[in-house]
Amino acid sequence: MLARRAGAGPVVYLDARGWLCPPAAWEAGIAPERLIVVRCSDPVHWARVAATLLEGIPGLYAEVPRGVKDAQLRKLAALARSRRVPVVLRPVRGELPSGLAHLRLEAREVRWDGTDAGHGRLQQRRLIFEASGKAMRGMAQTIEVEDHGADAVRLVPRLAVTPARRVVG
Amino acid sequence: MSDSPCQAVGDDNRVIALNSLAADAGIQIGMRRREAEAVCPVVFTVVADPGADAARFEPVVTAIEDLIPRVEVVAPGLALAPVTGAVRYFGSEETLVARAAKEVDARTGPGYRLGLAAGPFAARRAADLATAEDPIYVVTDDTAFLGSLDIATLGKEELAATFRWLGITTLGELSRLPREAIVSRFGPDGLAAHRLAHGDDRPAYPRQIPPNLAVEDRFVPPLESLEQAAFEARGLANRLMTELDEHGVAPHRVEIEAEADDGSIRVRTWRSSDPFTEEAVAERVRWQLRAWLDHSRFRSGPGIRGGLVRLRIAPADVSGEGRQLALHEDARSAAEADRALTQTQAIVGMDGVLQAIPQGGRDPIERVAWYRWGDEVPQPERDPAAPWPGQTPSPSPALVPPEPVPLEVEWEAGMPVRVRLGSRWEPVLSWAGPWRRVGRWWQGEGPGDRYQIVTSAGAFLCEVNNDRTFLTGVYD
Repeated sequence: MLARRAGAGPVVYLDARGWLCPPAAWEAGIAPERLIVVRCSDPVHWARVAATLLEGIPGLYAEVPRGVKDAQLRKLAALARSRRVPVVLRPVRGELPSGLAHLRLEAREVRWDGTDAGHGRLQQRRLIFEASGKAMRGMAQTIEVEDHGADAVRLVPRLAVTPARRVVG
Repeated sequence: MSDSPCQAVGDDNRVIALNSLAADAGIQIGMRRREAEAVCPVVFTVVADPGADAARFEPVVTAIEDLIPRVEVVAPGLALAPVTGAVRYFGSEETLVARAAKEVDARTGPGYRLGLAAGPFAARRAADLATAEDPIYVVTDDTAFLGSLDIATLGKEELAATFRWLGITTLGELSRLPREAIVSRFGPDGLAAHRLAHGDDRPAYPRQIPPNLAVEDRFVPPLESLEQAAFEARGLANRLMTELDEHGVAPHRVEIEAEADDGSIRVRTWRSSDPFTEEAVAERVRWQLRAWLDHSRFRSGPGIRGGLVRLRIAPADVSGEGRQLALHEDARSAAEADRALTQTQAIVGMDGVLQAIPQGGRDPIERVAWYRWGDEVPQPERDPAAPWPGQTPSPSPALVPPEPVPLEVEWEAGMPVRVRLGSRWEPVLSWAGPWRRVGRWWQGEGPGDRYQIVTSAGAFLCEVNNDRTFLTGVYD
């Protein structure tokens, strides 16, 4: 997601678990010198670190550890909006508070191709996820994406659109 | 003007140069023009004109270039020339410098200064130490010379003040400190300072550039006005930088080559400590063309007779020194990023902000060499280009636990059937492997078999070791 931003400067992965494997990011098109990993699992420090990074970094992918308060996340979202810095937040456990994200992507299904019963290797991934939030203007959409592990993902043409849920008052 | 205070101001209306009378009156470099005029109302002010400066400096560069090929113009008034080959030709450094001084003196008169030392930084400092009476300063012992320089010569006031506060007053004292400690404490600025103190101010590992990145335009009919040529130069600079951007590099030097209608070719190299931007390249080309034209007009030099028929810009020295900037990235955003990361280091510790380079290995975690942000990029311990039999194939898992995590997998006839994820069992949809890894048997490690297992919840990299299965990666 941040591969394009890596062209404009360093992108930072705020790693709450210490599990990030950089080769996957390199394969996605982020140059090694442009990827910076900040390890922070402490929820108190995490909010400070994320806010500090937003002051100078063109793109941030942040795992949200358990224990970070909703108010802190909202402050962070406001800061990101004011600085016009794209931030991808991914909670390690649970969900983000509602109304926080401009675009919310929720994986519905993931299919891997290339493997069979003991032969082949993982080659291509198809992701089906639901996109919602302000960016979708109230129209939740189901989107299918092909990912070859290279620096480009492709939207599958047969885009499935689900109707927006209506509320009966 | 030598008997009255004079100052020069830049585009930002700040003082960039002054004579001794202006300095005695209290004017300082960096002062606003209005402040300076308030301090000394009689000061004579001139607005800086780099193009005119380049034109006036041109005879000096030509004089040096007649003796030493490939002169690098850092800025109007400052040129660098690598002398290794020329010293061999002239027999000794002293002979060469004496000839250079004679040539410059013959064309421009007194007022020049020449410094000779190992490396541009030391040579510049040597030239600073030369005087009007003795305009040549040849350094014989480079280590001793650098070691004796004051810490302020680094040109970074805050850094120098901190070093002074720590009791480090000369570059020699700085160079004796371990580089790792300096980098840990002062980050990229400290690293650059330590390199300068050691005399290795050139990039250690310049990147190779493809030879065909130079851009060139031919003009029919020949361009006769500077404005026309400057306009074409702008387009050429844009083409050059777009091509370089595609290769992810930025030049620290550009070579400008102009061919006149009479067939004469003039070449000049410009250098910058920061990578050139498109505007900077176009500006340098304009300055240089103006310098050649003015030189021909006023000093009866060769100039560009009959107009410009060909203009070529070739990039050089595209090393990624320090933070590698993209071409559309400005120095200010790089400084902001550095500041943000330095503050982050202060919160999470030096080991909490990391970068990585690829290295050889069979497992995803082995293929990564971590280093602290701001430290020098290490050399990989294992060659990533070497064949690694048994290497897990790409794509790499996005998440790898620091230590293998036990995973419950149900096997039937040697094939994985179900995987326990949390409280539920997920059926295995497909799988690949095994890729056998032979461990370091001399250290008691047994062999392991690695599998890619696909479920409806995602794909995993697992290792089976002594009949136990461990999670070693998640394809997220």
